[in-house]
Amino acid sequence: MVLAAVIVVLIVTDVMNSRPDKRPDNPYEYTVDQFTSVDTALVKYTETIDFTFGDLDLRGIAFANNRLYLVEDNYLMVVSPEGEKLAKSELPESPGCVTASSDGIYIGFRNYIGQYDPDGRLVKNWEPLNDTTVLTSLAVTDSTLFAADAGNRRVLRYKTNGILSGSFTGKRDSADLHGFIIPSPYFDLAVNSDGELWVVNTGKHAFENYTFDGQLRGFWENAAMTIDGFSGCCNPAHMAVLPDGSFVTAEKGMVRIKIHKASGEVLAVVAPPEEFKGETYAPDLAVSPSGDIYALDYERKMIRVFQLKK
Amino acid sequence: MNRKTFINNSGRLILLGGLVYLTGSIIFKRKVSASGKYVWQIDPFKCMQCGRCSTQCVREISAVKCVHAYQLCGYCDLCGGYFKPNTHKLNTGAESQLCPTGALKRKYVEEPFFEYKIDEKLCNACGKCVKGCGSFGNGSLQLQIRHDLCQNCNECSIARMCPTNAISRVPIEAAYQIKGDFKNPALTNPK
Repeated sequence: MVLAAVIVVLIVTDVMNSRPDKRPDNPYEYTVDQFTSVDTALVKYTETIDFTFGDLDLRGIAFANNRLYLVEDNYLMVVSPEGEKLAKSELPESPGCVTASSDGIYIGFRNYIGQYDPDGRLVKNWEPLNDTTVLTSLAVTDSTLFAADAGNRRVLRYKTNGILSGSFTGKRDSADLHGFIIPSPYFDLAVNSDGELWVVNTGKHAFENYTFDGQLRGFWENAAMTIDGFSGCCNPAHMAVLPDGSFVTAEKGMVRIKIHKASGEVLAVVAPPEEFKGETYAPDLAVSPSGDIYALDYERKMIRVFQLKK
Repeated sequence: MNRKTFINNSGRLILLGGLVYLTGSIIFKRKVSASGKYVWQIDPFKCMQCGRCSTQCVREISAVKCVHAYQLCGYCDLCGGYFKPNTHKLNTGAESQLCPTGALKRKYVEEPFFEYKIDEKLCNACGKCVKGCGSFGNGSLQLQIRHDLCQNCNECSIARMCPTNAISRVPIEAAYQIKGDFKNPALTNPK
């Protein structure tokens, strides 16, 4: 009888101690809490509106012609800055990135670029590249389009009629051991209002300024978990250029959106990590001519709009 | 219906239910072992690196080890699995290392790439490196139950405490559930 009682007590104690709220804390907790809280004086933007289009697999965002261009799994959507859907057209396969100008829309599929007119009708598909190509970002000027190929760690230069006119890997000469270091499929580039090409060398946590034919003109880099740097193996995953030439950056891992001067110093925080609790994917970014920042939140499947605090 | 018929019908029903369950599991799950042998394994997609693999295994040193999917690794200089988040210098100093037992080894390959290997004798399955790699890298470091160490208990004491039910019995033919390939091509196919 006593033995039975002891056994029952042991079983009950074991069951009670196995309850989720009774389980011991993780003695090996990995925490970056010290970096997730940000000085509120640095947070100079506020989230004003969000809009969503349902359970869509959104892939990329661009702003041009006072419209937002969104690519999602097999569709291109044209949206007003307030979130009103203006047009939607079907794509032949899953896109990876998008850019636009007054002349048209350019969509990066895995290994080729599709050229569309401003209303979303296909003009032509450009010549496909090799099988190891993974296009992750596009930037267009009046006559030139740049494409970032994470698979081959190179930047491709096209004429806007689709003729491939060159490429570069970030190496100055053959003696250089490395050019672009792209550990994961995040490789972004942009052309600012002065016509300067900036490429993010994510593995070096660096912004690199190149001439259109691939000569390095300058760079800055900062690998750090702290707010002035870029964390993780390969960041910033996405970036866009503000009208004044400064960069909006989005980091993966510890997700945060910041603004850096063209020379690298951190200017402001747009959205601290607390705004992305539980998320790990860096939002793709687009900027309006007035400086509003559109962040494509992949995990919440919404567009989040940030504006400068008044 | 008399009692005898009721018991007979119930028996048939239970047998039929068992047959349907077995057939269903073969058709839909396709996780039935051809040899009939099963082992415990961690699903890396469910694992949240709670640290219990280190403390709950019946073995003195856990049968769970960190394994490295080299295919997925970025060979990064700033490795989130190797360095403490607030490290100032990217070197092999103990004060910079995230692993509490120094089981993760960093080796220079060529500028700016580094290879990371696990000394399994030192690994205590705490999962810190897995968390760091998954949070800031490609997620190439993952926890797996090593079957040369696991006693394949009838009831896995880690699985009982796993908060995400990441540990389950899998057919022995698919004993490892790692994302990517954890065979180092440089070691298995030396040039």
